[in-house]
Amino acid sequence: MAKVLIVADIKQGVLKGSTAELSSKAKAIGAETAVVAIGSNIESLIPDLVNAGSDTQYIADDPSLELFSAGPYASCVVDAAKQFGANLIWFGFSESGKAAAPRVAAQLDAACATEITDVTLDGDQIEVVRPAIANKVMQRIKVNTDQLVAVVRAGAFEATEGITGTENVVKLSAPETDLKAVIKELISDASGEIDLADADVVVSVGRGAKDQAGVDLVKELANDLQAGFGASRAMIDGGFMAHNKQVGQTGKIVAPTLYMAIGISGAIQHLAGMNGSKVILAVNKDPEAPIFNVADYGIVGDLFEVVPILREEIKKVRA
Amino acid sequence: MKILTTVKKVVDVELNMHVKDGAIVEDGLQYVINAWDENAVEASVQLKENNKAETTLVSVGGGDNTDIIRKCYAMGIENGIHIDDPALDKADSSVFAKVLQKVYENGAYDLVITGKQAQDTDSGQTGIMLAEYLGVPCVSNVIAIEVADEQHIKVSRLGDAGTEIVELELPAVVTVSDSINEPRLPQMRGIMMAKKKKIKKMDLAALGTSYDDLGGTGLKSEVIEFMASKTREAGQKFEGDPAEITAQVVGLLANEAKVF
Ligand SMILES: Cc1cc2nc3c(=O)[nH]c(=O)nc-3n(C[C@H](O)[C@H](O)[C@H](O)COP(=O)(O)OP(=O)(O)OC[C@H]3O[C@@H](n4cnc5c(N)ncnc54)[C@H](O)[C@@H]3O)c2cc1C
Repeated sequence: MAKVLIVADIKQGVLKGSTAELSSKAKAIGAETAVVAIGSNIESLIPDLVNAGSDTQYIADDPSLELFSAGPYASCVVDAAKQFGANLIWFGFSESGKAAAPRVAAQLDAACATEITDVTLDGDQIEVVRPAIANKVMQRIKVNTDQLVAVVRAGAFEATEGITGTENVVKLSAPETDLKAVIKELISDASGEIDLADADVVVSVGRGAKDQAGVDLVKELANDLQAGFGASRAMIDGGFMAHNKQVGQTGKIVAPTLYMAIGISGAIQHLAGMNGSKVILAVNKDPEAPIFNVADYGIVGDLFEVVPILREEIKKVRA
Repeated sequence: MKILTTVKKVVDVELNMHVKDGAIVEDGLQYVINAWDENAVEASVQLKENNKAETTLVSVGGGDNTDIIRKCYAMGIENGIHIDDPALDKADSSVFAKVLQKVYENGAYDLVITGKQAQDTDSGQTGIMLAEYLGVPCVSNVIAIEVADEQHIKVSRLGDAGTEIVELELPAVVTVSDSINEPRLPQMRGIMMAKKKKIKKMDLAALGTSYDDLGGTGLKSEVIEFMASKTREAGQKFEGDPAEITAQVVGLLANEAKVF
């Protein structure tokens, strides 16, 4: 039987939804499922880890793991993978996953694939599917070893409702700290804001909004909808939005029920981060803007005019 | 400080791409320098300008890479190495990382800067694997590099919880995000000088290795098929009176798409 080890996606002390999504997929392919959780003061997450669908929980809980450092993080995953005898090791889509997966693969001498959107097992033969070239094509990849380390693309798998597991906690010893890469400081992202990755609705603002007043205008729309508020790279480069708000190939990959692109042209690198959304609405004054090629609904118009009307109309239908 | 920068030739992502019989149709494609490697080149040149550093680039595979290597020369890179070998056509990230390991071992470099991923695969593995094979520290997704002292650099990394400030002992590998800088446009003088510069070309044998040694004959995974991506259909686009069309679209979002 295949054995899947899932690396728990923990952010600011909270277990993220990707963990349940990944274990749902693991169960769907008939695999035995374990999870490895890495951090400091994370014992309280054990019930959540069980409820996310794991049957063994490897816990690396140590003050030295408070801040992310790829070396020790990868060591914990390798340790758990060896103890569990995992042949599939999956990270949810995250910067820590992207940083640690190639290390884990190199240490285990395993195959490595990032941003996978599907995985199939035919006996011992593992195959995965993933996008490449800024999502322009898909690759089908045959794995020639019996071990694969993979980062799963955001939104690739769905959580099965009512999924659950059994508690079987295994404590891992603390890894050695990386003395050659010392984390000096973490400049935390603003807390209390809606995480783009979790949001059911995402409203993103682009260069069309011009300045802070334009950004604030679009933000009000996001607030009305309790939506995640994202941006194109142009607005991050312009200093209007924080790095963690960037949607696209270099930023967050989102797949919400509704994505609103306001004043965004639709560059390929931006599309790569949002074209998995269920419904896309675009507002752009240029009828030829490429964003309209992927939008389900397009409003050709000046966002400064359209956004206030949009807010009013949405209030009406939601009333 | 000796800096090694990696530069890959990749397909131009801005052009249309078609898939036929499990392969990408070559017709009409163009090849360019990987955008993230351009950021790596810019970062290296800035380090050279602000500190004492010697800059070398290495490009692996790709056939005729003269144009992209000259572009990097024109941006300010001093030395160029091109490792090419027909055997590398099917190579994966691990093989590329092992080629880079050989290059590194021949040159006594202090710092390797790579783009965080290559646009032809979007894998993001090579730089990190290189560091693993070399046993040196590595930080990925870097948005700033600063020299701390002779033995250390300080980098900023965009992580899941915020910006991480990490001090790295040299030698080290960093992979850079496009947010790190705006690559300069080569100037006329640089372009003219670049034409006169040599490119050191080597095959695997000249590098003192073979495809087999690099693990190439036992690839851990291989692409067996390319498929067209699911493309979204353009939906309904509305032009006209803003109040009217906006009301219409909101109606559709509520009643047709049922998102409200
Ligand atoms: C390696 C690499 C990685 C990248 N990664 C990302 C990424 O992760 N995310 C990302 O977003 N970009 C990324 N980019 C940048 C990307 O190529 C584009 O430059 C960027 O997305 C453009 O942002 P924009 O659409 O806001 O701006 P623009 O392309 O300038 O578009 C602005 C749009 O606003 C419209 N507009 C102007 N005024 C109004 C108005 N009053 N009302 C309505 N519409 C108006 C215009 O018609 C235009 O379509 C990357 C680029 C590279 C090279």
